[in-house]
Amino acid sequence: MGERVLVADDDREIVKAIDILLRKEGYEVLKAYDGLQALDILSRESVQLVLIDVMMPKLDGLSALMRIREKKNIPIIVLSAKSEETDKVLGLSMGADDYVAKPYNPRELAARVKSQLRRYTSLGDIHAGSRASEIKNGRLLYNTEERILYADGEPVRLTATETRIVDLFMRNPGRVFPAEEIYRRVWEEDAFASENTVMVHIRRIREKLELNPKEPEYIKVVWGIGYKMEKQEKRN
Amino acid sequence: MDTKWKNRKKGISFLVFFLGISLALGNIAAIFRDRPSGVRIWQLQRLLQDDYQESGRFRAYMTHRLEDFLIMATGGEGLWGIWGYADGTYYGGYDRDYYYSDYGDYYGDYYEEYWNGYTEFQEAVREMGYPQEAEEDSADSGSVSSMSVEELADYLEGLEKMQDDYLELLDMIGDSEQWDSDQMEDFRYQLEDYRDGIEYYLGELQSYRPELDRERMKPLTEEQKQIIARKYHERIQGDKNLLYTVAYDGKALYSNSDFLPADGSMAAPEGYDFVLYFDGEKVRIQKDGKEVDIYGDGYYRDDSDWYLPGYRNFQVDETAKKAAVCIAVAKEPVLFSEGAYGNGGTKQYDNTLYWMDRNFRDRQRNLIREFKGLAIGIVLLFAAFLCRKSRQEAAKSIARFQARIWMECKLVVFLLFFYGIYLFLLVFLIDGSGYSLREEMADIVPPLLWVALFWGIWLLWNDLRHNKKIWRRSLIAELYRTFSAKSLNQPLARKIARRNRTVFLTSLVYGALMTGEFLLIYSDWRDEGIRIAVLFLVILETVLFLTALYLTGAKNMKAAREVDVLSGRIAQIRNGDYRDRQAMDSTGVSANNTAYNDAGWPRNVEESAGQNLEPVMAQLEDIRHGMAKAVDEQMKSERMKVELIANVSHDIKTPLTSIISYVEILKQEEGLPDYVKDYIRILDEKSHRLKNMVQDVFAVSKAASGELPVQMEELDFGKLLRQTLADMEEQIADSDVTFRTEIPEEPVMIMADGERLYRVFQNLFQNAIKYSLEGSRVYITLRTDGQLAVASVKNTSRQELEKEKDFAERFARGDASRTDGGSGLGLSIAQSFTEACGGQFSWETDADLFVVKIAFRILRPYIAPKETAQ
Repeated sequence: MGERVLVADDDREIVKAIDILLRKEGYEVLKAYDGLQALDILSRESVQLVLIDVMMPKLDGLSALMRIREKKNIPIIVLSAKSEETDKVLGLSMGADDYVAKPYNPRELAARVKSQLRRYTSLGDIHAGSRASEIKNGRLLYNTEERILYADGEPVRLTATETRIVDLFMRNPGRVFPAEEIYRRVWEEDAFASENTVMVHIRRIREKLELNPKEPEYIKVVWGIGYKMEKQEKRN
Repeated sequence: MDTKWKNRKKGISFLVFFLGISLALGNIAAIFRDRPSGVRIWQLQRLLQDDYQESGRFRAYMTHRLEDFLIMATGGEGLWGIWGYADGTYYGGYDRDYYYSDYGDYYGDYYEEYWNGYTEFQEAVREMGYPQEAEEDSADSGSVSSMSVEELADYLEGLEKMQDDYLELLDMIGDSEQWDSDQMEDFRYQLEDYRDGIEYYLGELQSYRPELDRERMKPLTEEQKQIIARKYHERIQGDKNLLYTVAYDGKALYSNSDFLPADGSMAAPEGYDFVLYFDGEKVRIQKDGKEVDIYGDGYYRDDSDWYLPGYRNFQVDETAKKAAVCIAVAKEPVLFSEGAYGNGGTKQYDNTLYWMDRNFRDRQRNLIREFKGLAIGIVLLFAAFLCRKSRQEAAKSIARFQARIWMECKLVVFLLFFYGIYLFLLVFLIDGSGYSLREEMADIVPPLLWVALFWGIWLLWNDLRHNKKIWRRSLIAELYRTFSAKSLNQPLARKIARRNRTVFLTSLVYGALMTGEFLLIYSDWRDEGIRIAVLFLVILETVLFLTALYLTGAKNMKAAREVDVLSGRIAQIRNGDYRDRQAMDSTGVSANNTAYNDAGWPRNVEESAGQNLEPVMAQLEDIRHGMAKAVDEQMKSERMKVELIANVSHDIKTPLTSIISYVEILKQEEGLPDYVKDYIRILDEKSHRLKNMVQDVFAVSKAASGELPVQMEELDFGKLLRQTLADMEEQIADSDVTFRTEIPEEPVMIMADGERLYRVFQNLFQNAIKYSLEGSRVYITLRTDGQLAVASVKNTSRQELEKEKDFAERFARGDASRTDGGSGLGLSIAQSFTEACGGQFSWETDADLFVVKIAFRILRPYIAPKETAQ
């Protein structure tokens, strides 16, 4: 506990709001109101995570991000009022670990901060390399022998059926499964009206492992085709 | 099955109609032909009675017989069928006209007339003075030889021909000045030949002269008349179908029956049912023992049945008053013959009555048959009238068939048909001259021809009635259409070029023809007829050529005028006059004062058109430039609009982030009074709604400007619907409405962006949940309609739907109060996203039923996949 988070945004009220939210979660918050200020604080203080807005005076968020990445490997979450896919991709490609569009859900933001810090601090060893029986995808880790799914290093409680679905997805990241196939392989019965059953289970799994179940990042619907586990781009 | 029966019914009803008309018409014509003359067709009683003695022919026969008997009784002359008698020998013909009576004999007249004419001819020859030999042909005239009439006629005919040829030769004397000696010699021989011929005939005529002497022709003597009467009696007495007794002055002269006294007792032997008695003044007739009324009111008229003496206006002379004649006629006549072997064989007697009876019976039989046919025809016609609907169908079918035939063919067939009838009538009219045309038509045109005539006219009428514009289906029209269709499809420039080529080639052909024909005319061509024909040809060709020239010229003129109007218009548009043509037509004057004269030429041609099309092209280039700029600017402004909205939404998002964040902080604050918590709840709700709205506005504006990025992929429409429904299952389960789905299990593959399409149906389903009547059902169906897959969402609105409202309009909602959580962009997003994916979006209302339809083109028909192996 007591990780230090740097929040950089030119909107003082937003910085203050994030400060209140994160302090409630038990983090120490450092404040910056432009890019240069943020770099200055980073050079002096020990910081475990950076929340940085894109549109800032003096030095914009993305430039600051690149400067930070030259020296540090700490998790960086980009905040932006631009919500388009291209903006998100740009931010991630420049070295951001996550991208949160404004206006964000404060609780989701807190969850993402928590998730990034967990992966950075507690699971540092996992970053280095994984064992043969472990499949890693973003913040998820699946142990095929134990059949346990870890999200941000914490085991996710899944029912037997959910575990089988997760097993199928984690072993085949990126592959699209039609509902019928999932049904056949998980329930081992002929598929009939499988769409609803599969969807119900997927929704439950999402609630357990997604940071924002309404905008899932891992288990996604490929509309008109099936379901898949999204393969997360690895940083570095 | 049904149509088969219908077709059969059609066929049968028309057949009935056809037979009915044919039978009725044919038999009416036949009845007209076969009916006894003087009997009207509606006098059925008279038409169908089977007693030959009631016929007009019988009455005429009896009249003639009585006349003959009276001639015999009174010693008159002119008995029928007896050879003439003169100079102690019989000769002549079967007719009164043939043997010599007194002055005025037919051939005698002819001969005398001709003889005199020939004398004139001799005069003419004499006056011309050449050749002198002709003079010798002259002979004494004015006498008639007693040669036989046939011989005389032959000679006269020969003589006439000779005279014609001779006169023709004489005509040629006019040209004789240019003749050479050979021609002259030929001519002389010919003339001499004719002269010899004429001499021969004249000699023959003269040799007969003493025998055929008009002076010696005398009336028959009493004795001769008696011999003729006796001969007549001998000829007819063997025919016992007609018994007669002829008495004069109380004394029986001729009779072929001992049992028929001429005393008015009217006693006739068995089997003779008709008795006629003439007492010297009047005639009495008994038929089957009953007296027949002959005279009526006592005056003879044209329509009186009997032409017999005894009417007040038809009396006999003194000599006949002493005569008495009684005639009896057999009820059923038989054939009488006599074996006159001494004279070399059998001979038949007159037997007129027998044959009359036979013919009469035959005719009655025919008439009865024809009436039966007529009756059947009328019955069939009535039947055809009952099923006239299907008959009209049949007539339409026939018309459809007729419509396929070229008009020219029909025309030829009809003309030939009517020409045939005309020829037929002509032949019979010439043959049977003296009849009135009406009777002629009824009598000589065979019934079959009448029927054919009717059907010919019927076909014509049917064609005209059912087929509008029958001339469209004609060889000429089709040729014209082929050519004009070919030229229609070509660009104007090519058409003009082709016209020029045509004109050039036509001129070439015309020139060649003219040269040839003038050569023909001016060459040393003897025959005037051919020269005139060629001249006529020249005129015809010139007319045709000029017509063709005019027609192509007119077309080019039209094109030129249009080009001019076009270039004028281009100039106007270039100068900034964007009014449409109609507005200009009504004023007649455009912005730069281009007025049009009556011929359609712009008044200031030089300004608008220029000498060539080059300035016009330059103007067009200017317009293109301007338009490109305008389009560019429009695009730019579109982009700016999206940018503006993006900026605005960005600017809204930043304060919104603060609001949402502080609301969240407030929510986590403890110890607040309940009413404050309530305020916070409202703030939370509204701020989230604001967030959704900002996102939606941004999405719609991007989609509307065509900048919405889409990732098109093949997907199963049905699956997408099922997934969307599954995704929204909780929302649906919590709502007051029930969803009824009808989505096929087999894939319906379309090309679309799944994420966008999901948003489309999410919006539609949310709307359906939001605006449906509580407890009602929402119907989701996916159907394939040919090449299209159509998904529809139907729901019953809770609120009354306004008519004519555009629900897909941005911010339009089912109710106007706007208190619910929607952004009002649901349908608008659905529409713009569907269209961005290449689908068709449509919606309609029917009372309170709201129906949205989304259609995509199906990529390929479904083929059942093989089971994928594990």
